[in-house]
Amino acid sequence: MTIGLAACSGGGGGASDEDTVVWSTWGTPEELTRFEEFNTDFMERHPDITVELQPVASYGDYHSKLLAQLTSGTAPDVFYIGDDMLGQFVDADVLLPLRDLMESDESQTKPDDFFPGLFGVAERDGEYYAAPNDSNPDVLWYDKAALKAAGITEDPATLAEQGEWTTEKYLEMNDQLAKAGLIGSMFWNYWATHYSWISAQGGTAYDEDGTFVGNTDPATVDAVTTLGEEFQDGTFVVADTMPEGAGADSVFVTHGAGFFVQGRYTIGTLTSAGVEDDYDIVRWPTPDGAEAPTGVAASYLAINGRTEATDAAFTFWTEFLSAEGQTFRLQGGGNAVPSISGADDVVLEDGYPAHAQSFLDMRDIGFANHPAEARVPGLSGDISALFLELYEGKADAQATLDAVADLVAEQSGE
Amino acid sequence: MAITTGGATGTPVAPPAPATQPAAPATAESGASRRGATGPRREAAWRRRDRRWGYVFVAPQLVGMAVFVLLPFAASLVLAFASWNGLTALEWVGFDNFAAQLQDELLLKSIVNTLLIALITVPVGLGLAVVVAVALERLRTRTLYLILFFAPVVTSTVAVAMIWQQLFRADGVLSTAIASVFGVAPPDWLNDPSLALLAVCIVSIWSSLGLNVIIFLAGLQNISPSVIEAARIDGAGAWRLFRSIRLPLLSPIVFFSSIVAFISSLQTFDTVFVLTANAGPDNATRTIVYHIYDLGFGRFEFGPSSAASVILLLLTLVITAIQFGAQKKFVHYEDDAA
Repeated sequence: MTIGLAACSGGGGGASDEDTVVWSTWGTPEELTRFEEFNTDFMERHPDITVELQPVASYGDYHSKLLAQLTSGTAPDVFYIGDDMLGQFVDADVLLPLRDLMESDESQTKPDDFFPGLFGVAERDGEYYAAPNDSNPDVLWYDKAALKAAGITEDPATLAEQGEWTTEKYLEMNDQLAKAGLIGSMFWNYWATHYSWISAQGGTAYDEDGTFVGNTDPATVDAVTTLGEEFQDGTFVVADTMPEGAGADSVFVTHGAGFFVQGRYTIGTLTSAGVEDDYDIVRWPTPDGAEAPTGVAASYLAINGRTEATDAAFTFWTEFLSAEGQTFRLQGGGNAVPSISGADDVVLEDGYPAHAQSFLDMRDIGFANHPAEARVPGLSGDISALFLELYEGKADAQATLDAVADLVAEQSGE
Repeated sequence: MAITTGGATGTPVAPPAPATQPAAPATAESGASRRGATGPRREAAWRRRDRRWGYVFVAPQLVGMAVFVLLPFAASLVLAFASWNGLTALEWVGFDNFAAQLQDELLLKSIVNTLLIALITVPVGLGLAVVVAVALERLRTRTLYLILFFAPVVTSTVAVAMIWQQLFRADGVLSTAIASVFGVAPPDWLNDPSLALLAVCIVSIWSSLGLNVIIFLAGLQNISPSVIEAARIDGAGAWRLFRSIRLPLLSPIVFFSSIVAFISSLQTFDTVFVLTANAGPDNATRTIVYHIYDLGFGRFEFGPSSAASVILLLLTLVITAIQFGAQKKFVHYEDDAA
């Protein structure tokens, strides 16, 4: 049956000659339209290279198809990989090592041009096997109208600028929102949110060797205990489990919640609802009010290790990821933050949100998914399931972190 | 009860053809015989040619069977004893995958969920189909109803699941109706672990109802009118007629349908995948096939995934064997009474 299901993964072919670059990604119709525009623009500049996009609508189907293509030798020359799947492909040595190419004269994407925390598991033993397409720091979007309705007079972004955006202040605001009958904060339950909270509160989830140590770190246990209590009393809400038709986006644009942890793509949600004037962003609160590294979601672009079009594929790869390429892809849509220096104007040019600079500041010091998790497909999801039990009051913080430590050790083969 | 429709052998006797009846058109064989031009050797050539054409027509199906069923089946059997992520070299691990799977709580939960779906959908679905078939049997406008009942069968499961997803929303039709009738908070079917599996069962029953109704209706219409008439003469009412005559004579079809429905329930996947966003809250709707899919294509663990496939095959064989064993007690064939 497993193999039978493999047949459903579909086929598709890679490039047949060295002047054709086939590349694949997932994406919304709007994103895919932008990518086709990039292809057209690219081929005008490189008439000797033909570029073909092989899109997959669903992220859920994307990697299984890519796997089937790699196994059968029909994979595209260049392809996207999600941050929760990248490690598997790096460890299997199916991706083209990129350091020499990135440092060559033809490169528009030197390793130092990227923000170092974003490489994550794409970097192994000093070699690069992929680079981030762009990024999405998980910021705290806040609804000024909801805060005002709850009687909150202080502005979180202003407090952050003054170094007074503390955990205590943030939790006070959440309590006031809850007392006013509103949701305090909404979080998606995935690696970036729980590790951002731990990191912002001074905890350590993984040590430098990639071992999960959160269960033995008092700061992490305290942070997760607080996090669990906020979810259990309903002040924080897991966005994933909100009912259909009354989902997090709907609640947020109708002023039903104070804070919503999301990336830059929230601009699209707010503008389509016509309520963008009421919203701004702020970084994660910390005990002392100083900024701290937090999670940054990213997807990656890799080159097939078996491509017959190495030169053409790298030309496409480096231009796609270059500052100009990222500007081309990200302007107007407002859905991501550049992963490379020199393209920040795309975030700041519209002056929205008012503190858009926070996206850039958080990206500069942020971190990608921990390699220990990114190397094992499905592990991040399993850990999120354990955190969900904490949020639902089925386990306490220590038990949850112990379970995570056991799971990571087991899945990592330690 | 012996049933005869004419003649000593029970074979209907055709009335003699009227003198004005035109002669039946000659078939190839009968025409050839009349011409006397075809001896045994000539007939054998016809048969050989027919046989060759038979192979030609059957070949696509055989090729499809080999490529999409037999080869994957063999490959799954091999992979069940190996560790392979689709990218690196295959490594033999013996029975480790089976041992790990049998201790995997997720597989056990998947088996329990799958059996629950089967135990709910098969009896409820077939029972409902029998009731509907009996109700439609004498209805003059039953074709219209059959079309309506059969529509879900020919509709893509994905489309069906997406429509029901809207109905099951917290602010959807079903929840709103329950809230207004019973005055309770509207249930959030797909996000509530205690309701999500029930939602899958409802959709499965609805999807398969039309096919079962068609089959049972055909079965009911195949029961000899003389048997019904004899029972009526003996004073049987509608309920007694159904309980003692129709249902027992329908039992072979019920048995066949239960085998098919049970195997189909054990393979529940697409409804779960679409309706409950990848196995629902807290794996509440995780079925065995979803478990196989998740291991293979969510985690690239093709060895354990294939081992789970083999476990599903064995489970299916055991359950089917039990059903065949149990049929002797409740399946009655019309010829049995002869």
